[in-house]
Amino acid sequence: MTYSTSRPITLAFEHVSVRFGGLLALNDVSFEVAEQEIVGLIGPNGAGKTTAFNVACGFQRPTSGTVSFPELGKRGLHPAQLAKVGVARTLQGVGLFNHLSVLENVMAGAQSRPGGGLWSSVMGLPGGLRHERVLRDEAMGQLERLGVATFAEALPGGIPYGIAKKVSIARALMTRPTLLMLDEPASGLDEQELDAFIQLIIELRSTMSVLLVEHNMDFVMQVVNQLVVLNFGQVIARGTPSEISHNPDVLAAYLGLDE
Amino acid sequence: MDWWRSFFRQESTHSRLIGVTALAALTLAITFVLPPVANSELAGGAAIAIVILGLSWLIGWSGQISLGNSGFMAVGAYAAGIWAHHHNTTPLVFTLALAIVAGGLSGLIIAIPSTRLRGPYLAGLTLAFAAAVTPIAQNFTSVTGGEGGIFLNSLVTPSWFGHLFSGANAVINANAQWTADLAVVVAAVSFFFMANLFHSRTGRAMRLVRDNDVAAELMGVDLLRTRSSAFMIAAAYAGLGGALYSLLEASVRPETFPLTLSITLLTLMVLGGIGTLSGAVIGGIIYSFSADLVAHVNSLTGVNPTSNLGANMQGIIFGVLLILTMMFAPRGLVSLRTPIQKLFRILRPRRQTPDLGELH
Repeated sequence: MTYSTSRPITLAFEHVSVRFGGLLALNDVSFEVAEQEIVGLIGPNGAGKTTAFNVACGFQRPTSGTVSFPELGKRGLHPAQLAKVGVARTLQGVGLFNHLSVLENVMAGAQSRPGGGLWSSVMGLPGGLRHERVLRDEAMGQLERLGVATFAEALPGGIPYGIAKKVSIARALMTRPTLLMLDEPASGLDEQELDAFIQLIIELRSTMSVLLVEHNMDFVMQVVNQLVVLNFGQVIARGTPSEISHNPDVLAAYLGLDE
Repeated sequence: MDWWRSFFRQESTHSRLIGVTALAALTLAITFVLPPVANSELAGGAAIAIVILGLSWLIGWSGQISLGNSGFMAVGAYAAGIWAHHHNTTPLVFTLALAIVAGGLSGLIIAIPSTRLRGPYLAGLTLAFAAAVTPIAQNFTSVTGGEGGIFLNSLVTPSWFGHLFSGANAVINANAQWTADLAVVVAAVSFFFMANLFHSRTGRAMRLVRDNDVAAELMGVDLLRTRSSAFMIAAAYAGLGGALYSLLEASVRPETFPLTLSITLLTLMVLGGIGTLSGAVIGGIIYSFSADLVAHVNSLTGVNPTSNLGANMQGIIFGVLLILTMMFAPRGLVSLRTPIQKLFRILRPRRQTPDLGELH
């Protein structure tokens, strides 16, 4: 519990608890994600990782405590508002729009940007069209960056899982996030894809903070600066990967060792 | 085929404008050779096509179902009718604009509770609305004229147009063609705006919400606003179509907007193809022919048109058409375009034609 950083804080959990009836899904959880930092949220199944994610992006209101975005000067936002202030999240699985082409899926990431309202849409005003062209180019750029541009016209149902995963990340990047939240990004990727993905995440750090939930420990250990370990809704450890890998509490939680 | 493709595929506004104008001009040219009865039927079909397009947008693009479109039509028709009845000199454009606003507002009111409902519950709520509108119109006699409705004579054929006609039935011919031309122009304008909407950011927001509302919300799409604006637009189109239809009929009556009309609209939309411009055109054309078709089938089978069976012949024909369409062209008659295009490709093998997208 000794982790600290001098950089500005992007996301802060302060004493967050979430109760579902009799179940305390999160119990007094506090941690921060600093600017240009990659934080991994790990823990056994049912530890509260997904709940923490849902609280962070406004799908779930905390029973007590606060979630804030100090750098953005915001707290207690709805999911749709979060996209506007620069918080992007990928969903478990891929969560793509099945009837839209890959390119349109990525363009959808820019949906929260201003411009192109109802009136300009109906009238087909030139401004809106220019806007669409710019988005199209930018989305194509994101697909190229992730090496999946050849799939631009395909429908998500017809592409391999690893590619779909990259498309969902391209879509998240399209929101120009300051905080990128990745829900199990490594699942379903093979060795080779994983190596490329690790490079990408590390590259992203120069422009944004990343909070990720992940089961693949090899992957997590290679990319994160800070680990937050949850068990039964409580933070049982925080620290750098090397600190965590030697923490007896964490080993006990993961390996099921009795003390 | 190039103008046709630009109408349905291109992303620039002026190519859509050219496409719609070309199609409208062609239709206007046809009205010059059609007999007056056919022109009247064409006018009705154009008005109904506007309503179908709104419904197609709602169901195909935003993924919400409405069985209340006959109700929205009635709201638009009564708003325009009551106004025109008291202010006979009002320009037609204003009367139609009033119908759009009234229809849109009624859609918004229905949308607010509706956006919380899905599937059959939403269908039920909109159905209840459509069911309520007719009795209100029948009983609120002081405003709506009750069963008898409101008589309208707002559609006056301008004298310059009348001068184009001569001969024994000059007045009848001129009137029928004027209503057809007017309806085609109004429909063309409506189709142009919807074509813009389809390819816009707003159109994409609809499809995001339809496909995956959780992901859409994460993209910053306001679900409530998106769903209710879809309803509002569909209802505004229904209001306009309903008003136009009543103006063509020269009266607004409750019996024009029965509950079964909502079902007919839905059937026509599915027959044409959900979520497409050309599907709505096809739906309107089928509607234009339906009265003739019913009369023809009745006379062929020897069924008395005033009998119970004869009176329901339209439903039977639409039902059979629907089953056949679902069997042979599950995505609507519009999907038959693909085999036709293949044929064109065979005829002109050197030319490469890209595949059409999923929905257009």
